Amino acid sequence: MTEWYDFRDIGNAVGALLDQIRDWGAPDWVPYVAATLIGIVGILLWAVLSVLAFIWIERRVVGLMQNRIGPNRVGPQGLLQPVADAIKLLLKEAITTTNADRYMFWLGPILVFIPTIVVFAPIPFGEEMVLADLNVGVLFLIAIASINTLAVFIAGWSSNNKYALLGAMRTIAMLISYEIIQVLALLGVVLFVGSMRLGDIIGWQLDHDVWLIVLQPVAVLCYIIAGAVEMNRSPMDIAEAESEIVAGYHTEYGGIKFGFFYQAEYLAGFAITAVVVTLYLGGYTLFGLEQWVPGWLIFLGKLYGFFFTYIWFRGTLPRLRIDQLMAFAWKFLLPISILNVLLVGSEVLLWKEAGLESQLAIPLFAVINGAFAVAVVVGWATALGHSAPRHTAHRAILTQEVGAIFYGEAAPRP
Amino acid sequence: MTLQTEPFVVNIGPQHPSTHGVFRLRLTLDGERIVDADMVMGYLHRSMEKLAEERTYTQNIPFTDRTDYIAAMTGNLAYVMAVEKLCGIEVPDRALWLRTMMAELQRFASHCIAIGIFANDCGAWQTPVMHMFRDREKILDLFEMACGARLTLNYMRIGGVSRDIPPEFIPAVRKLLKDLPKRVDEYEDLLLSNEIIVARSRGVGALTPEQAIAHSVSGPMLRASGVAWDVRTADPYAAYGKVDFDIAVGTNGDVYDRFVVRLAEMRQSLRIVEQCVEMMPAGPVHAAFAGASVQPIGNPVGPLAIRPPEGEAYARIESPRGELGFYIVSDGSPAPFRFHIRSPSFINLTPLKLMSVGGTVADAIVILGSVDIVVGEVDR
Amino acid sequence: MDDAGTVIAFWVLSAATISSAAATAAVRNLIHAVVLLVVSFMGVAGLYITLSADFVAVTQILIYAGAISVLMVFAIVLTPRGERGNAEGFLRLPALLLAGLVAVTLIFVAVDTEWVISDRPGFQETASVIGEALLDRYVLPFEIASVLLLVAMLGAIVLVRPDSAMEDE
Repeated sequence: MTEWYDFRDIGNAVGALLDQIRDWGAPDWVPYVAATLIGIVGILLWAVLSVLAFIWIERRVVGLMQNRIGPNRVGPQGLLQPVADAIKLLLKEAITTTNADRYMFWLGPILVFIPTIVVFAPIPFGEEMVLADLNVGVLFLIAIASINTLAVFIAGWSSNNKYALLGAMRTIAMLISYEIIQVLALLGVVLFVGSMRLGDIIGWQLDHDVWLIVLQPVAVLCYIIAGAVEMNRSPMDIAEAESEIVAGYHTEYGGIKFGFFYQAEYLAGFAITAVVVTLYLGGYTLFGLEQWVPGWLIFLGKLYGFFFTYIWFRGTLPRLRIDQLMAFAWKFLLPISILNVLLVGSEVLLWKEAGLESQLAIPLFAVINGAFAVAVVVGWATALGHSAPRHTAHRAILTQEVGAIFYGEAAPRP
Repeated sequence: MTLQTEPFVVNIGPQHPSTHGVFRLRLTLDGERIVDADMVMGYLHRSMEKLAEERTYTQNIPFTDRTDYIAAMTGNLAYVMAVEKLCGIEVPDRALWLRTMMAELQRFASHCIAIGIFANDCGAWQTPVMHMFRDREKILDLFEMACGARLTLNYMRIGGVSRDIPPEFIPAVRKLLKDLPKRVDEYEDLLLSNEIIVARSRGVGALTPEQAIAHSVSGPMLRASGVAWDVRTADPYAAYGKVDFDIAVGTNGDVYDRFVVRLAEMRQSLRIVEQCVEMMPAGPVHAAFAGASVQPIGNPVGPLAIRPPEGEAYARIESPRGELGFYIVSDGSPAPFRFHIRSPSFINLTPLKLMSVGGTVADAIVILGSVDIVVGEVDR
Repeated sequence: MDDAGTVIAFWVLSAATISSAAATAAVRNLIHAVVLLVVSFMGVAGLYITLSADFVAVTQILIYAGAISVLMVFAIVLTPRGERGNAEGFLRLPALLLAGLVAVTLIFVAVDTEWVISDRPGFQETASVIGEALLDRYVLPFEIASVLLLVAMLGAIVLVRPDSAMEDE
């Protein structure tokens, strides 16, 4: 059905509108520009509304995890809390510190915000609902995310504040370390599908009736961790480690400038989750269900559902130190990502050369990759010494001997 | 190739989400490594020691609530023990057992905060804090039942305790004794083997036993360094001589061991409370001596004030932070001549520079959290 | 380049690129210069897109705006405070003259050549073609480039090791 009121795919409505515009005799470029504008406005609206909704959801969910009720005063069940937050931030005095670099200071939040919106361009929200289905979609996602590095530095540097600078430096070190791991994780998907186009990747998952998460457990784990780092979110929110350097690179920002940073954090989270959903979890498809349920509804459901795991991480896990985080990236995640790419490459080669049936190949590869994931994670962790006594938990020794000294002895296991 | 670098002074505090109060730490950094750590204290100095010289001995008991405001019972206890030693007062048995029970409940509540805030310093966004405060609330409800207050308790008196516990107290304690061990298990589950907490705290801020003893460190910090020294067993007071409990000792002296020792102490506290509940005798809760129980407020030098004989006394107890001692000098008047608090937080802070140098800023925060200071005690 | 969109895009992007590049050289503050340089990188990426080189455009953003700018920023941060101005030495005038000469030469060559105008084919996939070329015809430069990068990384690691380690060797 391609009637304009078929809301299973909003692209139908837009297409009908554009046809109407063409019928009115507008020159050729008008429908093109109109389509782009509609897409941009749509994405912006959705992004802002989602952020507002998720401010409330996150605070309530984290509150429930902490055995308390979240915000419940402003409006029914606290639902107007994000509105109150937004109004407060808008009305605050926009202080620019004296020695701060005025133009950079003003530019910082904008530069942090722009990539998080632009990255939604190639992501398919539904079958016809892509703003720009680029041929190099995957690479585009990574490229736009890499602009974040410079933006964070500009924000931190222009504040003329030691804490902000410390935060900015930590952030850059983290972000460039984890960019490589992101690329390698996404490379596995591209190898399987043979194309970097996000529409093709979803099509491949639909055709072969399998979600790539099953075939790429190692890559998914690496990408989830690298994604958490890229969005500066707990457990890797070192850049804004509240209990250490107050607020890191956005210490000096107040009012709506801080609002931009806040929003950019959520939007980056949505962006990373959208990438995971599209590439590994099948995007807007659900094994054929999208014929009845709108594709964009499925996509948003998966997006929000997966974002819940990130909220879960934030509510539960403590924070790593910066040097531990980078050691983790370079010594642990990088080797296993490279091994993963090696394995995937050889599997794809085997598939094409031996001409295996998809029915046989995919379960086989799923089992092999799953076993590989478990083996490499456990094996490499042990090889790096994570089971050494230095890293394991233990309880206190209980004694009744007063004055004895037990220093340096091996403590009992928990 | 050497790069031209200059050390970088960062000021942590006095207003900071993680300094446990108004405490200032000036760190000299070389990149991320700490080269020098300088403590600046005194932001909460309220000159309690001097103010106490103007008030009678009983009027000074609320001061002891406010020095270590997280463990008010133990503060009260040390002070009244010092005055009793000075006066030679015999405290009745029931009062001793009540004091022991209250002190141990207070220890549990204080360690709830210590461990929760330690996890918060490690970055766990207040989730452990919220969970542990839930249990602290239950204990504070008990305190409210016993003496009407939650934080600044003012429960102990010179010669006993201020009032006997109401009849619903013991059943409430019994109910709590069924719930709390499971909670401690929950905390151990959540926090003890959490890879990130282990990575953040193993090997950080280690103190050898020799260093710890040389710096007069006491309490869980000393025990984490492997020295099995607890004032409750070394120099028993109240009813500690009659209860059976273990001392929790660590083996490496690092932040993780301090955390583990505090967790184990929470279990031991529950064990002591259980024995108190079983073995508490009936009887008076206050020693009978003239003018001891009724002290008019606003009449400091009336005929009902305690006048200890001339002399000096030092009494010490094991507070949740370490050895809390009160040194009282009396010159025969109703107000003390010298009122000195040997506060464990202040003394335990002495090796902070030794522990922090060589680590990173994040380590300094975690080490400060593991010392478990209360700035009211540090600055008095 | 026939349709209006491409022409407008070309002029806008060229203007942005050239003006930000000129501003990079002229501005006093070095960090401002880096940011303007990033703007010119983006402009070049846009120009690549008008030429239908999608892979190269995205790679330009990824590498130049994402990584090389960070490199420059680190370099600036590591320089001592006093030497952080955008150089205004005595070489300004000779540099301007030299740049002018180069510009005149290039413009003369560009205008004087007889360009062969071919039909513009439809959009072709570039990523796979580049990939195959790198591993097929140009595999030797590719491998040499990788070895060069490896050497650079090793050199960087050796340079920042603490002095005592260097004395040991």
